Amino acid sequence: MLFENVTCLNCGLLCDDLTVQVDDLSLRLPSSMHKFCEQAYKDASIESDSIPSPMIDGIPASLEDAVNKAADILRSSSLPLVSGLIADVQACRNAIELTEKIGGIIDHVNGTAIRSGNAVMQRTGEVKSTLAEVRNRADCVIIFSSETLKKFPRLLDRVLLPKKTLGNKGSQNKKIFVLDLAKDGMTQVSSEDNNITQMNLNFPLLESLVYRFQEVVTKPQDNFLDVDEDTQHLFDLINTISKSQYTTLIWSISNFNPESAEQTVQALTEAIKLLMKDVRCVGLPLSGSKGEITANQVATWQTGVPLPVAFTTGVPVHNPVLFDGSKMLRNQEADSLVWLATYSSDDQPPATSVPTIVIGHPKMQCESASVYIPTGVPGIDFEGLAYRTDSVATLPLRKLRSSKLASASEVLKNITQKI
Amino acid sequence: MAVKLSGGIIYDPVHRVDGEQQDLYIVDGKLQKKLSNDQKIESTYNLDDCIVMAGAIDLHTHIGGGKVNIARTMMLEDEVANPHISTDVCRAGNGHIVPSTFTTGYRYAEMGYTACFEPAVLPVNARHAHMEMADTPMVDKGGYVLLGNDDFLLSLINEGACQSAVNDYVAWLLDASQCIGIKVVNAGGIHAFKYNKRRLNVDEVGPAGVRPRQILTTLSKAVHELGVTHPLHVHASNLGVPGNFESTLDTMSAAEGLPIHLTHIQFHSYGTEGDHNFSSAACEIAESINQRQNVSADVGQIMFGQTITTSGDTMMQYFGHAHAHPKKWTVMDIECEAGCGVIPFKYRDKSFVNALQWAIGLEIFLQVNDPWRIFLTTDHPNGAPFTSYPHLIKLLMDRSFRNDVLSMLQIDAQKMSNLSAMDREYTLYEIAIMTRSAPAKILGLNQHGHLGDGAHANITVYRKQEDIEQMFAKPALVFKNGELIVKDGEVVKTVRGVTHVVKPEFDRSIEKPLKKYFDEFQTISFSNFKISNDEMLECIGSDIEVHPCKIN
Repeated sequence: MLFENVTCLNCGLLCDDLTVQVDDLSLRLPSSMHKFCEQAYKDASIESDSIPSPMIDGIPASLEDAVNKAADILRSSSLPLVSGLIADVQACRNAIELTEKIGGIIDHVNGTAIRSGNAVMQRTGEVKSTLAEVRNRADCVIIFSSETLKKFPRLLDRVLLPKKTLGNKGSQNKKIFVLDLAKDGMTQVSSEDNNITQMNLNFPLLESLVYRFQEVVTKPQDNFLDVDEDTQHLFDLINTISKSQYTTLIWSISNFNPESAEQTVQALTEAIKLLMKDVRCVGLPLSGSKGEITANQVATWQTGVPLPVAFTTGVPVHNPVLFDGSKMLRNQEADSLVWLATYSSDDQPPATSVPTIVIGHPKMQCESASVYIPTGVPGIDFEGLAYRTDSVATLPLRKLRSSKLASASEVLKNITQKI
Repeated sequence: MAVKLSGGIIYDPVHRVDGEQQDLYIVDGKLQKKLSNDQKIESTYNLDDCIVMAGAIDLHTHIGGGKVNIARTMMLEDEVANPHISTDVCRAGNGHIVPSTFTTGYRYAEMGYTACFEPAVLPVNARHAHMEMADTPMVDKGGYVLLGNDDFLLSLINEGACQSAVNDYVAWLLDASQCIGIKVVNAGGIHAFKYNKRRLNVDEVGPAGVRPRQILTTLSKAVHELGVTHPLHVHASNLGVPGNFESTLDTMSAAEGLPIHLTHIQFHSYGTEGDHNFSSAACEIAESINQRQNVSADVGQIMFGQTITTSGDTMMQYFGHAHAHPKKWTVMDIECEAGCGVIPFKYRDKSFVNALQWAIGLEIFLQVNDPWRIFLTTDHPNGAPFTSYPHLIKLLMDRSFRNDVLSMLQIDAQKMSNLSAMDREYTLYEIAIMTRSAPAKILGLNQHGHLGDGAHANITVYRKQEDIEQMFAKPALVFKNGELIVKDGEVVKTVRGVTHVVKPEFDRSIEKPLKKYFDEFQTISFSNFKISNDEMLECIGSDIEVHPCKIN
């Protein structure tokens, strides 16, 4: 059976133009245009006679027994951690309800990626845009690191190289600048067919490049004692921005050093806000490939605060330092782990000595977990909703096959009811 | 089996009942005035000395959508300072200014509200808005979908498309976004801001080649011709700018006599008189509302203290960002449809401008004669959190209290306002109109906002008290569809509300150019954009109730 306009969960762009061929429980993408997205569908393909069974301590068990065992573990746990959170909206809703009931802590595996954006939003606010707005309006685009294009492989095709736009000629033939570090080399993306300029700049770190960019936005050139060649390139860029109608700065937090990502994002935000005094300039931060935006949105509306959230005192408390899920596991502060990961079999739970309940992808191979409950993949085995990278658009995930795999949402609900 | 509400003092303006002692009966979630012989009474509530009204309805409150989550993130300090512990019946939450969704539902119900309407649903963000509202328990919900800055409509108008094509598009969008009304925010202004235009007047041509007036005229006509009960819901141009009352009057006239609702009109009623070049134009605005029967408005009263402003009006939010308190602000351009701006703000009683804004809101309330056309809102959270409604009601009902507060405000503002000379005190009957009967009527919710036979048994019972604020803050009983959900101001049972929508008829051939538009310009496919009824229930989490449209 052929399904059209399927939403792809392979990266945070959530392109919804895929055609998927489904034969029994096998899935493939007939179009070579979508080769970047194939992995998720290959990964989800299973034989109808090899639907994985739930397991308790590596031994196959019934779903009911697995749910009961999970509830037993959580009931006797003092400080359970619910993590992974690679899931659709409904499963995130149920994961939060479970965490509230067990008085645990909930965080996303990509927590650091969420935190820098949240912190900057909280401290200064942001100026941002969305995919269609950039596609139609932007005439100047600056991308920090060609790695960004590797991580979001259809950004050029879907957003930056449109055949037609609602805006002027400049938006149809965007001036695109990709800034890389000379020492790292670059992924070739420019060609005769596009208007992409790749610049290799001599900075020790991507962060240094960003800070210098902010500096040239902030200070007139006369205030610099010495302007080296690379800084001059940045001044030329600012000059281009000032002549453009709608400039978009694109970055992926995952390319920044997590320790200083917050400051780096803040530097970009402050530069944008300063440029906004005279011209239109916006940011388009890219993330969300592991569902972190979905999880963070649901947590924020249900609890009032972003991830991570602790329910240890009966009220939802946000503290990104105290309740950092990865750190809590490393320091053995949590004494049990619920690992929710429904998108990919690669999202294995972290190595830990505490009892682990894995609710996730049917190909996960989690014999070492105390409880493993294989679930269907959202957008393949059941319907759902997920957030795109710009945090604005929520895309529908459709059911493409009938696999008899349980949904993570149902499993979480059942565990919650048993406690 | 029936539940009897015995001997309460009833205020039911739809049936012209003004403080009469009557019995009511709840049967199967609906109201009955009398029981038939075979209907038995299961339980009785003795409501002597109690005031009984229908459940209150807030027709303009920002309770769902991306901007609310941005506001929660930006006001983390407010969330942390206002924790709400879980109970046997309530989920935990945080926040006072922009509470978490569960908390929002509980606080509304505890004040006797049984329905709330989100006035700024961006089409692409409609799923998000509905999901938040689905997670807001206790109350019914609904949304007004944003139009008037989207490239599709602007190009239709610019190309001179016929009115019926616009009507089809409007109806299609209402259906696709599962909304009950159409909202315009700064017509054409959000679009113009994307082209770096910082101001757009009602008769100025924007970058799309269209005047805001054309947008307003076309859309008010579309809403009217489609038979959508709620008039075009308009956030006028030039919000917050001294002298903007002229734009507001222009906006009223742009409807050309057709129904139009001007929202948070307090923010659009400013003159330029006096030493500070800022004055009240409440008189001009109220007079105009009084004269034009097609115009209604909600006030958007401000209250003193910290809040956060959330709006689709990127142009005017950017204009006001220098006044942010604390100093942070967010602006977003969104998907060739609209935008959003989120700015924290602290209204100070010793600030001339803020004190006068407070007075202007009250002046409008007191000078608009018809309580069926003026609505009680604070534009939550923009003027103040919705939990300040009981205080606002006291200001309207108690002249001496009002004047006491006025006398403590910034002195120049006191002099610039004629509020102290206004004798009017709202009656309970008028409060029941403006918070129940009128919102239900203007939204087309025929079985809400009154206590007649067949109405949904959404009922609020107040224990009579000297202090009106206390009385409205903590009802003795609240019933939702006949179930007791609040007792003595505390939630005793959680229930889920429905989402109210309209689905006017339209010619499906509009989907052809729309699909082309999506294929050529958008980043979501046409088929995935639309929210189906099944999706509302199964993925978003809310039942819908479809209300009829009357073709005009």
